Amino acid sequence: MLVAVILSTAFLGALAVYFAGKLSPRVRNVLAVLVALTVAILTAFLYGHKAQVDYYTIGFLDVTLSLRTNPLAWFFAMAITGIGLCSIIFSLEYMKGKERLDFYYFAMLLVNASMLGIVFSGDLISLYIFWEVMSWSTYLVISYKGGKAAAAGLKYMIMSVVGSCAMLLAIVSLYAHYETIDISRLSTAMQSASAGYALFILLMCAIGFGVKNAIMPLHTWLPDAHSEAVSPFSAVLSGILVRMGVFGLLLIMYGVLTPRMLDKLGAGMLSFSYILCWVAAITIIIPTFTALLQDDSKRLVAWHTVGQGGYMIMGIAFGTTLGIAGGIFHVLNYGISVTLLFLVVGAVEHRTRGQRDLNQLGGLAKRMPLTFFAALCGICGFIGVPLTGSFVSKWLIYKTLIVEGYPFLAFAALIGTWGTILSVYKLLHNIFLGQLPEKYKDVKEVPFSMQLPMIVLSFAILLFGILPGIPLKAIGRIQSSLGLEPLQASLFAMPPEVGELNMVNILAAVAAGCAVAYLIFRLCRKSRRVPQSDTYAAGSYAPADKYQYSANFYERVYQVIEPYVRDRVDAFYYWVVEKSEGLFDGIRKVYTGNLNTYALYIILFLGLLAVLKLALR
Amino acid sequence: MQFLSVIVLPLLAFMVAVLFLGLSRKITARIQRRYGPPLYQPVIDVVKLFTQEENISHGPVFDLGVMLALGGSVAIVLFIPVGGMLGLSSSGDLLVVIYLMLLPPLGMALAAGASANPNASIGVSRKLILALAYEVPFLLAILAVMIYGKTTSLMEATQSQQSSVLAWGLFRLPLSALATFLILPAMIGMRPFDMVTAPQEIASGPLVEFGGKYLAIASLQSALHLYIVIALFVNLFLGGGANAGTFLAKVLVVFVAVLLINAVYPRFRMDQGLRFCWKWPGLLALVGLIIAMVSRG
Repeated sequence: MLVAVILSTAFLGALAVYFAGKLSPRVRNVLAVLVALTVAILTAFLYGHKAQVDYYTIGFLDVTLSLRTNPLAWFFAMAITGIGLCSIIFSLEYMKGKERLDFYYFAMLLVNASMLGIVFSGDLISLYIFWEVMSWSTYLVISYKGGKAAAAGLKYMIMSVVGSCAMLLAIVSLYAHYETIDISRLSTAMQSASAGYALFILLMCAIGFGVKNAIMPLHTWLPDAHSEAVSPFSAVLSGILVRMGVFGLLLIMYGVLTPRMLDKLGAGMLSFSYILCWVAAITIIIPTFTALLQDDSKRLVAWHTVGQGGYMIMGIAFGTTLGIAGGIFHVLNYGISVTLLFLVVGAVEHRTRGQRDLNQLGGLAKRMPLTFFAALCGICGFIGVPLTGSFVSKWLIYKTLIVEGYPFLAFAALIGTWGTILSVYKLLHNIFLGQLPEKYKDVKEVPFSMQLPMIVLSFAILLFGILPGIPLKAIGRIQSSLGLEPLQASLFAMPPEVGELNMVNILAAVAAGCAVAYLIFRLCRKSRRVPQSDTYAAGSYAPADKYQYSANFYERVYQVIEPYVRDRVDAFYYWVVEKSEGLFDGIRKVYTGNLNTYALYIILFLGLLAVLKLALR
Repeated sequence: MQFLSVIVLPLLAFMVAVLFLGLSRKITARIQRRYGPPLYQPVIDVVKLFTQEENISHGPVFDLGVMLALGGSVAIVLFIPVGGMLGLSSSGDLLVVIYLMLLPPLGMALAAGASANPNASIGVSRKLILALAYEVPFLLAILAVMIYGKTTSLMEATQSQQSSVLAWGLFRLPLSALATFLILPAMIGMRPFDMVTAPQEIASGPLVEFGGKYLAIASLQSALHLYIVIALFVNLFLGGGANAGTFLAKVLVVFVAVLLINAVYPRFRMDQGLRFCWKWPGLLALVGLIIAMVSRG
């Protein structure tokens, strides 16, 4: 029952916020936060519940629509509501003074509500309906700014529709085969399915969910859409919305089909799982190195959204206990980090009059210390520096790939991390370190309501890094509920049969090392603070603001890798669009819109029939 | 005993690291037919820097970055077994070690970025590019070790080599060992890969703003880093050591070998270094990994 309450709160709340905006902006803002908060708290209470309620029956099809909750749904719902709440709070100041705010908050809440609908769906029709609501409302928010954003939104929508069609095909076919769309009943029915049919369903769903999750080569909408949307929404979009694809894939691979079924789909090098792993590997490498070439801060983070998704798919497709746990855990860790980074970029944008070009920024660490700290946590979370959550999730994935004997997949994952280091460090360095340009001398730290979500998210990154057992326990429950072997991790360490990883000891080692360094540091004479510009320039004079030396940060790497990382897929799609436009243009010449021409066609056709008839006689 | 090793390991590492600094200057001088400073010269240098009257700071990020760099290096030392001393290596495997190795460069880069010095920024960018260059062969090589031993544990990888000399990684996985040896100078930052701190071009790069205690901590950190990289190589490919003595002897041999290269080679340009690391060591490590995968069966 609680599920129904949560969903109605979320949807009705979104509407209420819209109308509250007509009364007064203040009421609307308070209500928006309140709705997001209530939904988050209610969702937290669902922990450990397992229930299914029917809510509607479609008479002529004889199908019952239902909502359900289980550990998998709870885990994703928590991530959705948490990230949603953070970005709503961030929006309050960020969006101040922008136009059509009632619509903005309505759409934001609607997106969150529809995502909750997806994870709580008990049948495929509900899932599809919520999925479409999500896609369309996302389109509305992406194109909110107009101009370039509208084009990005359109690109997103076209690719989403392709995905939806594939998904719909799978759902209709399942209904035709088994006469049910209830997910739990389907999973029993599918046990007797032939391998070919299972593969068809899986492929259709993989396309449907793959577009959302931006698996290569279905990723091209993402960099445009994420960089053109407003920052708090980019955070939601990147943090959790695209990961609905991972949710869907988990659901179809392990909730509907089973590992036993998956094993039947080909063998060795040509099995479905292995090929999907390689698709994931490519999804890790190419986008991560493409990110390295970006100069737009949001676009850089957006490319990582594609790249990091590869880790999740790889873990889940690999299908071992560690792999699945790592994949699901990475959804959470990555979601937190990327949300944080989009908020950071948004905060910088907010204070520098919309500056996103990394070659124009610099030295803001002293002006915006908290944002800098948040950015540091965010990039560490992206890289997976020890003591952040991503370290543990990536470790689980590497570990299982190596122990099972797949070094090249492991290499793809590892080298992706080093690509990540380069590109996200550029983000940190070019915004916060180095020379502070003259025009940003008076930049101030963002207001508290923007700081708060960043503080909370930074804390979460460190918390899940030091005590990974908290989320891993919930993930263990997901695994058992899907009928898989659960990962038994303690609060801060892996069991010995899994491997050597004890986060508290690692924390102790780093803390002790830093304590030693601090002691040495304090024993010496105190240092004198000098302004940033007081530097040693080897005899020459480094003029302030004359040149930006962090521009073209990785020029030497560009020279070597640039030919390999162009987005050829996008170019291909554009080629297809261009060619089909030509084709459609040709077809349009036939349909002139002139009645006389059509009459001529009819007469010609009749004449042809007459000739045929005569000839055949 | 194992608890004690947590304290002994960093102390040992500090002593060996400082000794290496002295040794390197002496040996390099001898190769170049100079007399060279006494062995304890680095100790004098570091003590002098620590007691310097004036230290200049560019703010909290500058201070904390330096501390993080040294602290991170001390932490890594605890995870690298020396002979029988295991330290904390049962709490973190090889993957943890290579990830922990990100902390010191991160700290240095943060400290370097706190100033507005162009040379520091250029140095940071060079360091990151160089890391990308040598990590490709390095990751391929350690993957070969891990695949071959079916473990990610550094402890087990070392112990499995101790039955005889022929069980060393060097003889079991010669190509991976060779690839790693070729990139050792890049990992340490010695010639021909010292573009990051190139004194004549970018005035020591990230170190340019460091003086007094900052420079002292930075030089201790870089000495520790040198020890860490070579100790890792010895553990992975030279069978570790039965006790601390044999272990350190092997570390010394590898260090001198790297030093010989350092003393005679000029510096690569950045893109040359990148191409070299990906081409030759990368290719060797790739073939090595395929062989390891096949021989594992």
